Amino acid sequence: MIAFAFRLAVAGGREALTRLVVIAAAVAVGTGLLLTTLAGVNAVNAQLTRYASVYPSASTGGDADPLWWSTRDDYFHGRQITRIDVAATGPNAPTPNGIPATPAAGEYYASPSLRTLLAAHPADQLRDRYPGRDLGVVGPAALTSPDTLLVIVGGTPDEVGKLPNAKQVTSVGDKPALPETTVNLILGVVAGGLLFPVLIFIGTATRLSAARREQRFAAMRLVGATPKQISVVAAVEATAAAVAGTAVGFLLFYAFRGPLAGIPFTGMPFFPSDMSLGVLDVLLVALGVPAGAAVAAQVSLRRVRISPLGVTRRVTPRAPRAYRLIPAVLGVAVLFFALGFRPETSDGQTAVFLPGLLLIMAGLVFAGPWLTMVGARVMARYASRPATLIAARRLADNPKAGFRAISGIMLALFVTSVAVGVITTIVANRGPAPVGSTDAGTVTTVFDEKASSVPDTLFAELHAISGVRSATAIRENPVLTGSSEVGVIACTDLPGAYGRCAEGATVAEVPLGLSLWQESASSTKFWHTASVTLDELQRLPVVSIVVGTDGSATAIERTRTVLEIAYPTFWVGPNVPGDFESDFANTLRGWEQLANVIIIASLALGGCSLAVSVIGGLTERRRPFSLLRLSGAPVRVLRRVVALESAVPMLAVAAIAIGMGLLAAHLFLRAQMDYTLVAPEPRFYVIIVVGLATCLGVIAATMPLLERVTGPETARSE
Amino acid sequence: MSAVIEAREVEFSFGRTPALRGASVAVEAGEILAIMGPSGSGKSTLLHCLAGILVPDAGEILFAGARIDTMAETERSSLRRDRFGFVFQFGQLVPELTAVENVALPLLLSGVRRAQALRRARAWFERLGLDGLQQRRSGELSGGQAQRVALARGLVAEPQVLFADEPTGALDSLTGEQVMDLLVDAAREQGTTVILVTHEPRIAAYADREVMVRDGRVNAPDRIAS
Repeated sequence: MIAFAFRLAVAGGREALTRLVVIAAAVAVGTGLLLTTLAGVNAVNAQLTRYASVYPSASTGGDADPLWWSTRDDYFHGRQITRIDVAATGPNAPTPNGIPATPAAGEYYASPSLRTLLAAHPADQLRDRYPGRDLGVVGPAALTSPDTLLVIVGGTPDEVGKLPNAKQVTSVGDKPALPETTVNLILGVVAGGLLFPVLIFIGTATRLSAARREQRFAAMRLVGATPKQISVVAAVEATAAAVAGTAVGFLLFYAFRGPLAGIPFTGMPFFPSDMSLGVLDVLLVALGVPAGAAVAAQVSLRRVRISPLGVTRRVTPRAPRAYRLIPAVLGVAVLFFALGFRPETSDGQTAVFLPGLLLIMAGLVFAGPWLTMVGARVMARYASRPATLIAARRLADNPKAGFRAISGIMLALFVTSVAVGVITTIVANRGPAPVGSTDAGTVTTVFDEKASSVPDTLFAELHAISGVRSATAIRENPVLTGSSEVGVIACTDLPGAYGRCAEGATVAEVPLGLSLWQESASSTKFWHTASVTLDELQRLPVVSIVVGTDGSATAIERTRTVLEIAYPTFWVGPNVPGDFESDFANTLRGWEQLANVIIIASLALGGCSLAVSVIGGLTERRRPFSLLRLSGAPVRVLRRVVALESAVPMLAVAAIAIGMGLLAAHLFLRAQMDYTLVAPEPRFYVIIVVGLATCLGVIAATMPLLERVTGPETARSE
Repeated sequence: MSAVIEAREVEFSFGRTPALRGASVAVEAGEILAIMGPSGSGKSTLLHCLAGILVPDAGEILFAGARIDTMAETERSSLRRDRFGFVFQFGQLVPELTAVENVALPLLLSGVRRAQALRRARAWFERLGLDGLQQRRSGELSGGQAQRVALARGLVAEPQVLFADEPTGALDSLTGEQVMDLLVDAAREQGTTVILVTHEPRIAAYADREVMVRDGRVNAPDRIAS
């Protein structure tokens, strides 16, 4: 039977071949996406492992001599430089990953990207931060990404032992420092957002092929084939297509692996070799996808009964009921509840938000048919045009079928709207300071070890840098209350760009960077008067230095270099507000990019599903439609019917999914960060419109078929 | 009386296979004409040419004195929608619409307001013995009921000509006769011309006149109804 079914599948004429190609194409896309997701998980794990080797935990024991190790953050042009200071305490000390030997004092290794920067910029902006001998390149074994800026600097045990975060290690760690479950969860959601539309497409295509094979199956049943044998034929056809599609999917994955690795999904690109597949991954996909397609074929055929008289619907579907709204409403309620009750731990917050979001996701898919039915009934009630009436009646009759093809779009748009809403708002609230603002040009270094004073020569050196406008030392406020600032400054030293003192005050309380957290520096800001005299102020330790520049990269980097050389024991290098934020924002933008990919891919796939569903609908109604056309109904009326049946639910679903997604994002942001949702940038809407237009284009591609299948020959009853 | 619709020396081929070879027939206003012939004789093709569905390769089709074979497709479509009615053998009802909406469809297509179209459609249900079936879907109607709904749809716009292609072909003889009784009565009441394609003499007997199509040609009238 299987051999016979296979022969039918591959030698069944042009139509059978077209059907095979359609299913194979759907499977190929799905397989490619699945492989990319699995390889992405492997790549993230590889990144995390190498990240862990940069931030090892203190370790003791064994025969190895301890290695002093300190990892610190520095910045250049808004990019993070990871600086590792090491010092071996004996000949058996472990060697950091990626370099042949531990550098001695006055030596260093730099990553390829950092070497490029070192070569491209004047020494007083970057090179002077690493005095000594350049020993060579840090290899990929220590780099989380090809773009990683990393320097491994040698020092004496005394020097390195005094650095912030210094520790002794006897082995370089290889356990991921970040919880893998979080990353896997995110990738799982991404995979779901992408794969759901693919599965819907495969299911729809299989169901369509069952309808198209009506005559053949009916003939087989007439000569005695059992329903089970018909199922075998259908399953073999789906499996044959799935095997071909899976093979093409593997080819697609390896063809696009390089460009895919270059997309900074986690904020930085992967090495192409990191996007690898394990034996288990390959087996899982190579065997699982064809098996899944066979199951999908069985499930989709369950809904139609191949009788000797042809394909008939098993039963008229029962109208969906309003209880389908419960999960979605419950999900929104959970998020509203989180507004008033925010758990203190991250785990507690995850325990509230994740079920809320998942409930909304599942709830939207569950409620979709009911919403489709209600919308269609309203549309039918007020329809004055025949096309609207026919389309609305069809949707109201079988809303599950009408919604099925677009459920993938709904899910993908909800997930991406939540992501884009959250990302846009966080970036808007925490992104880098605007170019030209005082903040964008303010370099602050916070001392790990308090200094008693700042030498005048340092101020002179800083003022000598072109573009530096002010250089100020902030001293420790000895009187700390809940509302006071941690620093104090003489009013005569307070640069006008950062505020002013109260009338008659001599010393003011100020924050370490001369601007409040999440607020911009302002010349009109009045700082509270400190309860410290000018004499007392001079005896207080210096806790930070704030340098105001014109915001030019040259001035900022030269200032940074001067400060690092003067105070080399920093934990976090002298930084501009937004160095860390722009790093964070870049990571988020990487995720936003991924969200955009999902939007386009899911809408294109949704369009394909809709097109297949449209073809199925036309095939079912070719006779009444063609007879209507013969009776004088213009083709444009029929075209409008098809467009309304597919485009209206799709557009409505897109609006609902985006609305619900942004609402969920807003509730999340209010509860978690006290942010109000910032509307996504126009780019988001452009991508949605382009995606929807693509989708409509795919539907429009079925229109010539409408004219063909409703031609006069269908009316012949002889 | 002059002919309301007429075919003159019409020729039509499906690819290389000729279906009509100089067929001529004229139908007078209010007349019921039966076109008979064996399978493949070309009788449905002749009906499709008369209705402006197919454009003949040669010859002329005239409706109310004007040639319709030279009209553009859009003009012929609007002619079919506004002046002609159709009843086919089966499968002409739009499955997702209720029976009354199916009957109202030609009116809606012509731009009649929904409420008025439904009111006019409902009137036909009592007339054709379909009371209580207004809200049924085509799948919930018997063959005879569906054909009566189709007949109501064909006549609701008060067409000048009703084309009926094997209207009882899918029905048993008793139901077929009931449908034909209704068709003829309604057509006579409205003064509608009927062109009926059938291969059953029993059905053709309802017509005023019969013509026979053989090998793509129309034979001389065999009988004029009394």
